[in-house]
Amino acid sequence: MAQQQPLPSSAQPTDVYGGDEVSALVLDPGYFSTRAGFAGEDVPKQVIPSFYGHVEGRDIFGDEVLIPRANFEVRNYMNRDSVVEDWDVAAKVWEHLLVKRLQPERPTPPSKNGLNDDGDGSGNSNNADGDGDVAMEESVEDMEKPLAENPVLVTEAPWNTAKSREKAVEVVMENWACPAFWMSRTPVLAAFAAGKATALVVDVGGANTSVTAVHDGMMLKRSVQKSHVGGLWLSGQIRSMFETNEPKVNVVPSFMVENKKPVEAGAPADYRPKKFDFEIAPSFRAFEEERVLTEFKESVVEVWRGQGKLAAPQNEEYARSQPGRVFEMPDGSNQMWREQRFKVSEGMWDETAAYPAPAGLDIPQVSKGQTIPALIKACLDGVDVDLRPNLLGNVVVTGSTSLLNGFNDRLNNELMMLYPGVRVKIHAAGLSTERRFGAWIGGSILASLGTFHQMWISRKEYEEHGPNIVEKRCK
Amino acid sequence: MSLDVRDVLNIPEAGPRPAKKQKTAVPRTNLKGLAREVQSLGGDNPIAIVPEVSLFKKRRFGSRKPAAKWELRRFTNSARGDNGALVLRHWRRKHEDAPHPEDQMQDVQSQADQSAESGQEKADDKPEDSTFAKFNVQVAVPQYSEDQYNSILVNDDWTKDETDYLLQMVKDFDLRWPVIWDRYEYVPRGPQTGETDGAESTAVIPTPKQRTMEDLKARYYEVAAKMMVVQKPAQYMTKPEFDLYEIMTNFNPAEERRRKEFAINTMARSKDEAREEESLLLEIKRIMARTERFNEERRELYQRLDYPHTDQDISIYKSSQGLQTLLQTLMNVDKSKKRRSLAEGAAGPTPTSAGFAAGQAGPHHPSSDGPGNRRESIAASASGGHFRRDSLVSATPATPADATPTSAADKKKKGGAAQFERRKLSDHEETIYGVSHHERLTSGPTFRYEKINKLYSHKSGQQQLRITNLLTELDVPSRLIMPTAAVTAQFEVLWAAVTTLVDLRKVSDKIEAEIKLEEAKKAERDRARGVLLEAEKKGEGEGGERAVPDSQESGGAAEDGGDAAAAGAGGGEGEQAGHSETTTVAIKDEDGGGQEKARPGSSGAHKRSASVLSAASDKSAKRQKK
Repeated sequence: MAQQQPLPSSAQPTDVYGGDEVSALVLDPGYFSTRAGFAGEDVPKQVIPSFYGHVEGRDIFGDEVLIPRANFEVRNYMNRDSVVEDWDVAAKVWEHLLVKRLQPERPTPPSKNGLNDDGDGSGNSNNADGDGDVAMEESVEDMEKPLAENPVLVTEAPWNTAKSREKAVEVVMENWACPAFWMSRTPVLAAFAAGKATALVVDVGGANTSVTAVHDGMMLKRSVQKSHVGGLWLSGQIRSMFETNEPKVNVVPSFMVENKKPVEAGAPADYRPKKFDFEIAPSFRAFEEERVLTEFKESVVEVWRGQGKLAAPQNEEYARSQPGRVFEMPDGSNQMWREQRFKVSEGMWDETAAYPAPAGLDIPQVSKGQTIPALIKACLDGVDVDLRPNLLGNVVVTGSTSLLNGFNDRLNNELMMLYPGVRVKIHAAGLSTERRFGAWIGGSILASLGTFHQMWISRKEYEEHGPNIVEKRCK
Repeated sequence: MSLDVRDVLNIPEAGPRPAKKQKTAVPRTNLKGLAREVQSLGGDNPIAIVPEVSLFKKRRFGSRKPAAKWELRRFTNSARGDNGALVLRHWRRKHEDAPHPEDQMQDVQSQADQSAESGQEKADDKPEDSTFAKFNVQVAVPQYSEDQYNSILVNDDWTKDETDYLLQMVKDFDLRWPVIWDRYEYVPRGPQTGETDGAESTAVIPTPKQRTMEDLKARYYEVAAKMMVVQKPAQYMTKPEFDLYEIMTNFNPAEERRRKEFAINTMARSKDEAREEESLLLEIKRIMARTERFNEERRELYQRLDYPHTDQDISIYKSSQGLQTLLQTLMNVDKSKKRRSLAEGAAGPTPTSAGFAAGQAGPHHPSSDGPGNRRESIAASASGGHFRRDSLVSATPATPADATPTSAADKKKKGGAAQFERRKLSDHEETIYGVSHHERLTSGPTFRYEKINKLYSHKSGQQQLRITNLLTELDVPSRLIMPTAAVTAQFEVLWAAVTTLVDLRKVSDKIEAEIKLEEAKKAERDRARGVLLEAEKKGEGEGGERAVPDSQESGGAAEDGGDAAAAGAGGGEGEQAGHSETTTVAIKDEDGGGQEKARPGSSGAHKRSASVLSAASDKSAKRQKK
């Protein structure tokens, strides 16, 4: 009992601020991008798309390789639930990030770099062979444990399955000889990134929107709510809106445009398409179209932030009277967008206002329980009533789709309407990087904490208990 | 404006500029770091840019020390409980007492490629423990043996297995109940898990009970409290231990549940309800504040009303001599006190005990003065009461300070005494402030209209009726609406006049009756004497008729008219014949006639009183004219 008492402030060492960096690595895989970097830094060093190129039986990774090529296909190793689907590729992607991109190239020792070899190879052939063998051995050794120094912290979605977690720990422990490993849920880390141990985390990401209650650094399982209303869904809404628009807007990705001429607003595009002497895979085209839509989201789409829903007649009138925004598609066609830019995001809040799901794409229509207010309500219904006011006072907004203009205002309005008697306070990072990489930053904070080092699952524990130790330890 | 700017704007130079001369006289402060051209842009006004002198380079060159050495040091964390199996490395300042430079070199090498020899070197000294290990705290969860469970902890609702599971959860989640409840997924595994034949086991698998957080808490507290008692009987527990025990045994899950239901309802309030509740809360707050203030005021009032009691015999002060002596002693005490306080340099008068004196002096004043005096005395007593209150605020009756002059009220200084040490009021100011001086004071405050009422009370009922009749005739209300001091004074004057009038009327009526009687007798005699004188008498009667209106019009014209006997008789007849209303003037006539016109002076006096009356209320005159 006595040792539970906190130290008096006089006895506490003044130099302990909590940080103790052990050059841990933090890996945060998501549907759209995979982030990796060193713990203790404020942004991930490496952000690559979770989409990878598959060309002639080879997998290639990184943003820069996703260019039009022959026999090229774009795939994603994550599924739309933000859970790893293809573990073989996942291991490669992670290795590419953690080993190739994050670890500096080590210089070859001078005895082996070939610069000190004397000219004739005949006399020293044995010697050289011997050297070569040693070098080979050592490099193999190096290759086998490139991360022997770095504990790795991997994030996971709150609904990640036990099997998938075990797989993750296997990949990390078996491949790069990590000394220690930890797995943490994204909402918990996002809450840490916001400086809160207890929070209601609203994560509006690329493929999913999730609402999770975090209590004292622990995710509450019964509170986890998720829906597909995220960035991808919003892209689908934009596509539907383009379909119904007059004139119809055709999404032509930039790589297909050789040359374009300026045209009047609303006029058909006047551009010369690029000719490729190979077939462009639909997956690559879809990936590139998504880039265009992302730009549209970033520059045009806004969330209606006035009183009540957008569907209210006077609100729609007002939205129509607001100054619009012009967006020029890569092919040169352009148009002023007025109330539509509010309308595409309205389905997040009001399922009746959503556009019908686009045909051909595997994006389901938003249902009643999938709007953000409904998710929050369901989430809070899943936690003890004593926690609810505290959670509402610590709403953490993260995820890049939450960067839509007006998102926080609308969320605040909706929450005030849902819970009029409770103080609602929304905490949303102002910097877009902090919002985009909230979970990674939280992981970076956690893995560089001095008190966290007792938590790591060490290699020894892993070898003793096997991969299912992650279920026992990372609760 | 500076030279350059003038040039640019084509403004001619405004003659010789004294400022420039001044500038030449006063050496300009040398601003370092600014180009001369930039400086001259400012002209006469120095530029308000403080050049930042960077001292980086100098400082750096000046204090060059060998760079601090850091090393990548291995450490373990004892809180892990794995005997240092996990060794991590972090950068730390190298200790100053580093043994040899070549060791450092070795260290550097070891950082670079983890060579075997450095590993050997490190092996002999164990890696240090993390400074953060001490922050690891564990929750103490009660432990029990099989026997203990069977003897005291058995519960129908809970199996031992589930209890174990609960306690493990509590330990794992450090008593964070929301998390425990959230993760509580107890799958009962009874004896049937052993029998693996499918059909039977599926048949008997008990459904896991849905446990509420209250259930979990209740069970845990039950176990914890019982184990506490087992370890240490309640009577030996220390205070905090016993408090904890009390809390745990008093845990009431039903109440908790009710509370949570209530909380849910509170959360589900609509906006209007929330607002209403908020406003109600505000209202309550306001009401509470008001009650508080009210109570405060009431307490203060009580304090004021609470006059000092004396247990001494005050009968000696009940005579005027006694009062005189009291006054004398108080004066003496006061004087000596004043002198002393002056000597002490204490400013301001000490608290008075005026109330003591005035309160005692008041009640013994006889209140049987004339109306005017009484009014004054009432006013004085009112002010006396005021003084008493003052004194009670200061609430130190025992010290007879400058109370003495106040109690000198008896000696006609009452009003002045109050300002004894203040400035004297002029007569005009006195009227403005309503200050009045009185011979004697009655006790306590009285109302001015009561003074008027007192006037009535001395009269008989008949007279009162007459007076009120007359007052209504005069259109003066018998009860004053606004009895200010001036109005009551006037009213008293009026009232005196009215009473006189009523008296006079009474007399006149009496005389009239007598005259009638006499005339009736006379007529009787005349008839007996015959009709001889009839013609003559008729003429006289006509003259009388004529005379009456005249007399009404102008004061004592009828009287002035000459022979009083004839006029008096004629007037009397005329009144009897025509006018039911008796006029004041006529009364005077009658009176004058009745007193056999021997005293013209007295009749003059009456006339004057009549004029006074008419002056007091010319309304009455108008009415009479009607």
